[in-house]
Amino acid sequence: MNSWNRLALCCLLSGTGFAPLTTALAQAPAAAAAAAPAPPAGPPRAPDMTPRLARAADRVAAIDAQASRIEDYDALRNLQHIYGYYYDEALWDQIVDLFADDATLEVGLHGVYAGKSSIQRYFLGLTGGKVGLVRGQLNNQLQLSPVITLSPDGMRAQARWRVFIQDGEFNKGANWGAAVYENEYVKQDGHWKIARLHLYMRFYAPYESGWTRTTAVLNERYGKSTAKADRPPSVRYATWPERFTAPMHFGADSSDRYRLAPENAARAPAPPENAPRTAAALEAQVRALELKLRRLHAVDEVENLESAYGYYADMSMQDATSALFAENATLEILGRGVFLGRDRVYEYMRRLGAPTDGRLFTHMQLQPVITISPDGNSASIRARLFEMFGVKGTQAQWAEGVYENRFVLDQGVWKYITLNGYQTFYTNYEQGWGKHSVPLMTYFPGYPPDLPHSIEYEPYPAVFVPPFHYRNPVSGR
Amino acid sequence: MNRLPVFSLLLAAALPAICVAADPVVTDSRLITEERRVQILEAKLASLQREVLLIEDRKAIERLQQLWGHYVSEGMAAEAATLFAATPVASIEYAQQGVYLGRARIESFLRASGARVRPGELRETPVMQAVITVAPDGLTAKARWRSLVMGGLHGQDGRWEEGPYENEYVKEAGNWKISRLHWYTTVNGSYDKGWHQLSFPAAGPLAELPPDLPPSVRYQSFPSFFLPPYHYFNPVTGQPVAWDNPQPGVAP
Repeated sequence: MNSWNRLALCCLLSGTGFAPLTTALAQAPAAAAAAAPAPPAGPPRAPDMTPRLARAADRVAAIDAQASRIEDYDALRNLQHIYGYYYDEALWDQIVDLFADDATLEVGLHGVYAGKSSIQRYFLGLTGGKVGLVRGQLNNQLQLSPVITLSPDGMRAQARWRVFIQDGEFNKGANWGAAVYENEYVKQDGHWKIARLHLYMRFYAPYESGWTRTTAVLNERYGKSTAKADRPPSVRYATWPERFTAPMHFGADSSDRYRLAPENAARAPAPPENAPRTAAALEAQVRALELKLRRLHAVDEVENLESAYGYYADMSMQDATSALFAENATLEILGRGVFLGRDRVYEYMRRLGAPTDGRLFTHMQLQPVITISPDGNSASIRARLFEMFGVKGTQAQWAEGVYENRFVLDQGVWKYITLNGYQTFYTNYEQGWGKHSVPLMTYFPGYPPDLPHSIEYEPYPAVFVPPFHYRNPVSGR
Repeated sequence: MNRLPVFSLLLAAALPAICVAADPVVTDSRLITEERRVQILEAKLASLQREVLLIEDRKAIERLQQLWGHYVSEGMAAEAATLFAATPVASIEYAQQGVYLGRARIESFLRASGARVRPGELRETPVMQAVITVAPDGLTAKARWRSLVMGGLHGQDGRWEEGPYENEYVKEAGNWKISRLHWYTTVNGSYDKGWHQLSFPAAGPLAELPPDLPPSVRYQSFPSFFLPPYHYFNPVTGQPVAWDNPQPGVAP
């Protein structure tokens, strides 16, 4: 795209009100080159711009403070979601890096682990002292429903989450669980870290009998490490079916606090040393701020797009789903191979059939980790797929997997450029993942892909860690 | 005659620099004075101020809706009711249970059934998968979400319930509130048998607390097929969506 188109697009998007002028602008360089008058003998005396520049700089600082709060919100959401994906795979070396040195960890009624080395021992003690899962193990912990609250100074945060657990060992047993996190976070050296992780157990029940037949003893199996706790539990409570609400970090009036930025942050004056002395210096600040907002806005756009994909897939809306892809996009799902271009994506989607009575095809898109490129023109997401299938009277299935998708900003609109869906498990409802898991799904009969699938892997009960598009947000590993 | 091209050039000199990060700053004091440049930047800052508020609005709405998920999961009817707007009159509509109007009636409904959590009952209701659309004026918003609910009474058969919300919000005295909450049941299945073998209809009106209005849309949950309408057009095409082969009984 040339710069004039970008200009027009940018003005349209940012709503500056200059849009009607863009046609004239596009013709301006040639016209102006011919029409520009000779400079006048002496320009009128320029007014002193210092006060206006200072006021504008204060405004930059105020907007930037608000934007930084939003950045923190997104970073905290990503952090806990990233924690969840590491937890799934028992990547304890990565997970320990997410904690502050003096952090504490408390899971269920198993006591408090204080300090990073204790926390490391806790995690290693879940898997026999080793990092990573072994064949047959499933360890999914879904991070859902964040309520994130930033401190007024933006250096600490608290968050409540709901957690679904699906885990077990192939041919031994499977479990469903539910829990609540009330966590605390701290910003150190520019990185958000977990300061306090507290999982309040609700239930943990064998797949066969379900949560309605669970007991306190069954519930307490979850998250039990062979490492010894440093302190007894900070809160004693009875798990479901007893009634217990984990303490909420927010009050009943918290719904009134709609601003992420407190009023004082919004009024923060610019540090004097940052005050621009010239319009050019101010312009540099404004441009940096504009890019920051563009990247924040992109997070929301990409999340909407990923969610919309899931809602269309629920309903087998092939037209609507494939329209979300760029013309040169690629699609790779399970072991069905790589499909090149939007037309092939459409053909792929058509193979999934039309919606009818008696069929259920629920495609939940959960736990997004969203990364926007430095220039704000491309983005990546890791998201969790969780599916409920059903054919009335015949069969039901659970399925779970991981997406690693990429997006581009194409003519001002975010689109999929690659979609990569990795299979973790597909299992029939009666048996569950403890007893049954479908092998990697292969090519559609009579509809070969353009390329074979790009990574050779075996889904659960084998261990496969879908590649991450991001590094560890704290250590950079 | 010169005015338009010259004026255009003034803008042209400044705007690409503002809009396009990769382009160099253009400085030509013969064509654009410091004062004019500052004026343009001030206008830009006004638009960035609006943008940052709209992004913040989205996060505020996410937080508000997630509070709902935690309150109903814990059976906290009074707290959940505080999330609704006082004016305009807010509404709640669950499944096929009809519409309740106003905070007081919403709270009564949440205490009576729907979101009530009885002793020994589980109603885990995480709120997931947001499509949030904030109106350009930042005063109203709509969002689609979904919940997958783990339900049931201890000792009995459990329930898997799933379905989307299509909700509306209003900024009331500077605070976001829910103005309309509408949850659709897609499936309400037996845990023991699985939804393919035993599923229940979407819950109907409560005899002990009749709704203020009948359901706004009549539908049946699984095994029937129903598409709860989207509040948004396709995010890429900007067009409404349709099936290749629309099914009978589906709203257009």
